[in-house]
Amino acid sequence: MSITEDLKPLFYPESVAVIGASSNPDKVGNIILGVLKKTVKNLYPVHPKAEEILGLKVFNKIEDLPDNISMAVVTISASQTVEAVRSCAEKGIQIIVIVSGGFGEIGGEGTALEKELVSIHKEYGIRLLGPNSLGIFLPETGLDTIFVEHGDKALSGGGGIAFITQSGSVGTEALGLASNTGFGMRAFVGVGNKVDLTETDFLNYFAEDKETNCIAFYSESIDDGKIFLEKAREVSKKKAIVILKAGRTEAGQSAVSSHTGKLAGSDKVVSGAFRQYGIQRAYDEEEICDASKSLSMLPIPDGNKVAVITAAGGYGVMCTDYIEQKDAGIKLHLAEFSEKTTKKLNEVNLSFASTKNPVDITASAGDEIYVDTLEAVLKDEGVDIVICLTFFTPPAITNDLVKKISNKALEFNKPVITFAQYGPYTNKYLKEFYDLGMVGFSSVYRTVRAARFLVERSDILKTFGEDNE
Amino acid sequence: MSNNNWIDGLNIPGKPDEWEVKELFKAYSIETPKGILLKPGMEFTGTELEQPLVVKVCDSKILHKSDIGGVKLNVKKDFGKVIAEMNHSFPDSSLLIEEMVPYSGLEFIIGALVDPDFGPALMVGAGGILTELYKDVTFRLAPISKMEALRMLNELTVSEVLTGYRGSKMDISALADLIVSVGTLITELGSSFNQLDINPVVFSDGKWVALDGMAILNL
Repeated sequence: MSITEDLKPLFYPESVAVIGASSNPDKVGNIILGVLKKTVKNLYPVHPKAEEILGLKVFNKIEDLPDNISMAVVTISASQTVEAVRSCAEKGIQIIVIVSGGFGEIGGEGTALEKELVSIHKEYGIRLLGPNSLGIFLPETGLDTIFVEHGDKALSGGGGIAFITQSGSVGTEALGLASNTGFGMRAFVGVGNKVDLTETDFLNYFAEDKETNCIAFYSESIDDGKIFLEKAREVSKKKAIVILKAGRTEAGQSAVSSHTGKLAGSDKVVSGAFRQYGIQRAYDEEEICDASKSLSMLPIPDGNKVAVITAAGGYGVMCTDYIEQKDAGIKLHLAEFSEKTTKKLNEVNLSFASTKNPVDITASAGDEIYVDTLEAVLKDEGVDIVICLTFFTPPAITNDLVKKISNKALEFNKPVITFAQYGPYTNKYLKEFYDLGMVGFSSVYRTVRAARFLVERSDILKTFGEDNE
Repeated sequence: MSNNNWIDGLNIPGKPDEWEVKELFKAYSIETPKGILLKPGMEFTGTELEQPLVVKVCDSKILHKSDIGGVKLNVKKDFGKVIAEMNHSFPDSSLLIEEMVPYSGLEFIIGALVDPDFGPALMVGAGGILTELYKDVTFRLAPISKMEALRMLNELTVSEVLTGYRGSKMDISALADLIVSVGTLITELGSSFNQLDINPVVFSDGKWVALDGMAILNL
């Protein structure tokens, strides 16, 4: 069976059982049941004694459940989980999300219990997500097994990013952060301890999913490393892949007697392998969200020439420094405008504006000058990316600027990244940009870093071209 | 020479000495200095090698030979005396006597190891005795294509010395070929392979030459 069919009961279940459903509102088994109730029609709570929870009929034993249930969510203690999972398997339930913790992550007894889960999977062929998993969230249908706050309202609009995380809290915290200014989520998957389903399975699944255009991973260990990488190289030809690989391990003890072993210590092998296989690397939760948002929403530039438009000189200078920074890996350069562009910029701008890159339209400029300037630089063939440093304090700038910049930018197939000056309204403006299909950030550094991710993606696509020659 | 014959013929199982490592290099067309091996107790009766010479202790049990006086450079007419001294200092070890290769410009390191998650990996970077200070290295999983080897070289901070920085003349294409060969070598060693250092690799008379080599195998 293909992975798409295998995981259908996980993403599109027709019926769901909650093992460990509870009437106590503080319990995970109550929160999950409540959230699932909003979208799942055939929902079956399982509890040894209760008769009714949240208005749903309770089943006292897994054996009593109806046949052909798509998915079960297990929220009971680790020691009880193994038997429950076996009963679910006996019952013919297709896939189980094991939210319960207390397995391999605590070692000892937990590791032994985890091994039992592996053997149940092998014996029955039942698919398992977790244990120690937050499960899934699919904005498309509202299906949600996550029991902690995760910016669900802000994310419910959906988008192209599949976010697969080994750590539940890193995943949800990242989403909370990203949702403040808009983040287009296709699906959230917590893989937890990965007794069965791994990163590779979800890479395979989202590779085939038409709505997904960017796949992001938070991962501490990639189990079947080489298989994952080979698949990633294939997928990367069509979809961007970003990984936050945490837990920078030292090379094995045996490998420290050579220079190579000592030099590899700081996980340089991982970075090299990612580069080789078309994977982009992020180093913290903010960076992976910024990168995946940009890669999912913006066109990929042909080159690395950046134009900057600003109404405040200082920010233009700072932005230039970041662009020309030599040790940042992926190189960016300030674009040099053509004569035609320069002529146009001089026409539309005030006499005291600076029309060289970075273009300083000055604090006396209004919306119209901003948008005419944007149009002129977008038309320049020597410009691959535009960074708009937007400010809302100059008197002639109105609240319509967000809409005007967005409309103009979206006429062209070049990435335009915006920066909104930090202040009490920043997130509101950035969210407005997002709702109009634009990507913006609250610091100059993050804005330029996003441009670097786009250029890195462009380089990866060119690399695939070279290798085919 | 097949790799299995080479592995089976090692003096100390799993621990090739420099001479043995360089024999393996030759099988993969990796250039090494012209040299001879003088086993313990063997009389040195002169040589056809051109002076100046390098005399090195050749013993896989000695990892950092230059730290303990195990390398003599620029040895000319007094080679008899130098060899006698070395034999006295290291009575149980072989000596490797090589022609000293003239070179100028940057030294490189090419290395390889087995990553616990991803398997055999190749490294290239700025080499020499300060390699661990510079940390200007990059990795890829082996084996690799020539295109990938070129991308590795272009990633290094020192990459510009390969493309004419301040008049430097080094053959980037031939260095990429050498990295590819090392990738093939470790891939063909298969599960026997553990780690490898070729340091320094230098550009001499239009060719890249491996001046020193160290390998560790799994038993």
